[in-house]
Amino acid sequence: MALLNRSDWYDIARDTNWTPKYVTEEELFPKEMSDCFDVPREKWETYDEPYKTSYREYVKVQREKDAGAYSVKAALGRMKFLDSADPGWKSILKLHYGGIALQEYAAGMAEATMARFGRAPGMRNMATFGLLDETRHGQIQLYFPHEYVSKDRQFDWAHKAMHSNDWAAIATRHAFADIMSGRDATSVALMLTFAFETAFTNMQFLGLAADAAEVGDVTFSNLISSIQTDEARHAQIGTPALKILIENGHKEKAQKLVDIAFWRNWRLFAVVTGPSMDYYTPLAKREKSFKEFMVEWIVGQFERNILDIGLDVPWYWDTFLEDLNTTHHGMHLGVWYWRPTVWWDPAAGASPDERDWLEEKYPGWNDTYGKCWDVIIDNIKNGREDLTLPETLPIVCNMNHLPIVGVPGKKWDVRDHYLDYKGRRYHFGSKVDRWVFEQDPDRYAGHQGLIDRFLAGKIQPANLEGALKYMGLQPEDCGKDAHDYAWVWNYNKPDKVAV
Amino acid sequence: MTTVPLCVNFESDFVLQLVPVESDFTMDQVAEAAAHHSLNRRVKPQPGRTLRVRLQDGDAPFDRDATVEQSGFQVMETIEVYYE
Ligand SMILES: [Fe+2]
Ligand SMILES: [Fe+2]
Repeated sequence: MALLNRSDWYDIARDTNWTPKYVTEEELFPKEMSDCFDVPREKWETYDEPYKTSYREYVKVQREKDAGAYSVKAALGRMKFLDSADPGWKSILKLHYGGIALQEYAAGMAEATMARFGRAPGMRNMATFGLLDETRHGQIQLYFPHEYVSKDRQFDWAHKAMHSNDWAAIATRHAFADIMSGRDATSVALMLTFAFETAFTNMQFLGLAADAAEVGDVTFSNLISSIQTDEARHAQIGTPALKILIENGHKEKAQKLVDIAFWRNWRLFAVVTGPSMDYYTPLAKREKSFKEFMVEWIVGQFERNILDIGLDVPWYWDTFLEDLNTTHHGMHLGVWYWRPTVWWDPAAGASPDERDWLEEKYPGWNDTYGKCWDVIIDNIKNGREDLTLPETLPIVCNMNHLPIVGVPGKKWDVRDHYLDYKGRRYHFGSKVDRWVFEQDPDRYAGHQGLIDRFLAGKIQPANLEGALKYMGLQPEDCGKDAHDYAWVWNYNKPDKVAV
Repeated sequence: MTTVPLCVNFESDFVLQLVPVESDFTMDQVAEAAAHHSLNRRVKPQPGRTLRVRLQDGDAPFDRDATVEQSGFQVMETIEVYYE
């Protein structure tokens, strides 16, 4: 029997805006689950998804994608690659899987919110496929690292991390709860699919895939590029939603949600993707600097997307552009210094050659971040590893839950952007994080960050050892310098002098 | 005497750190407690110069022998420790 063309039946089949008989429209689509903007139903019916697919087509394509990714994995004998991989690259894998795999499942729940509560039939249809996509991303990114667990128990954190109270897990959960699980379907379309997926997933899933290909990690490169093809499709859920909101006079509120989501994601990427690209990836294999990737994907493409749709660039755009030179260097220094608190082994990336590269990509690096590394290097040379390990906790931001960092050395500009609210002092890593809090203080005010929990006596014994226990880290899990300080000894070569 | 946790911003360092002090500590002792977590770790000491304590955005430092209590520090007050 001949099949109809998709275009012959798609519109009528996906138009599931039936008239409810047993419940009211409001009961079927409660505002707080569906649409905080309260746009009328008939307006939502104009939603036109740019990407149309049928279930049959979807399954066929996805099956081919999976077959591709799994057969590359099977053919290439991953264990061998892992044995010979640079320790910095292994750390990227551990950080990536632990930080991302389970959040993919959470993203599946956010897609499910749009699939059930989205007001537009087209949104519900696309999000159903999005839900299947994210389930795939969760499963495949747990399956691939699983085979390494017997060799290296830090890989167990691919599954464990998001169930723990590790600071990096608290930061990730807080950000994604704010843009995914804690929002109505329309807000999810703006904050997850538009602000996060059209902008940032390119960075981690295409930028890093380029580095992976350089390093020779064909399996990982293949895997994350395959994931990105799904992201590129379901990321398009947000654009037609934004169009409807703007047409119906909600530009200001939509802009605010996009601005909040963009900033929250930026800070997470500064701690995940920034160090991965500029410090952990072996120098010879770096395709571009983190900043260059950000300029290409975010400043170039996302800025154009925002303007095309009729929004403005976020009000803090100048701050963000300036941040591209600084924040991730501070985050990296913090992760390396507090390395026992993470489930991967941070690569310092501060050998003489690497510093030359950093100085070239980020002029002034040696006079700022380099000043801190100078002291660290002297300590390791002098047998004082103890001074390169923490004896207290950094203050973490009450919005992004990452250490509050700034520029050290000659351009010292570290500051606490605090706010007193209802008798409690909140500490923020930037004025933008504070602004996010101020947009809806009661949404965020009850949350306790790691330092708040420490001060409330929830972490016992009240020292670093107790903190590691609280974070779920066994001594064998705790991060160490990825190269066992071998990079420090390059400073003894006569042709290279530490700056 | 009670313990007062502070949010310390040490000159030339890159991060804010949690530093617990006692309410009867003088500012010199506060500076010393703060220095323990920054100096010789990520910041080079400057021999012969004195460390002072001020509130973030404060114009002037507190007297070196003023105590934490006298200075009115709240729990998690943000202070800057810097070379005079
Ligand atoms: Fe995904
Ligand atoms: Fe996604």
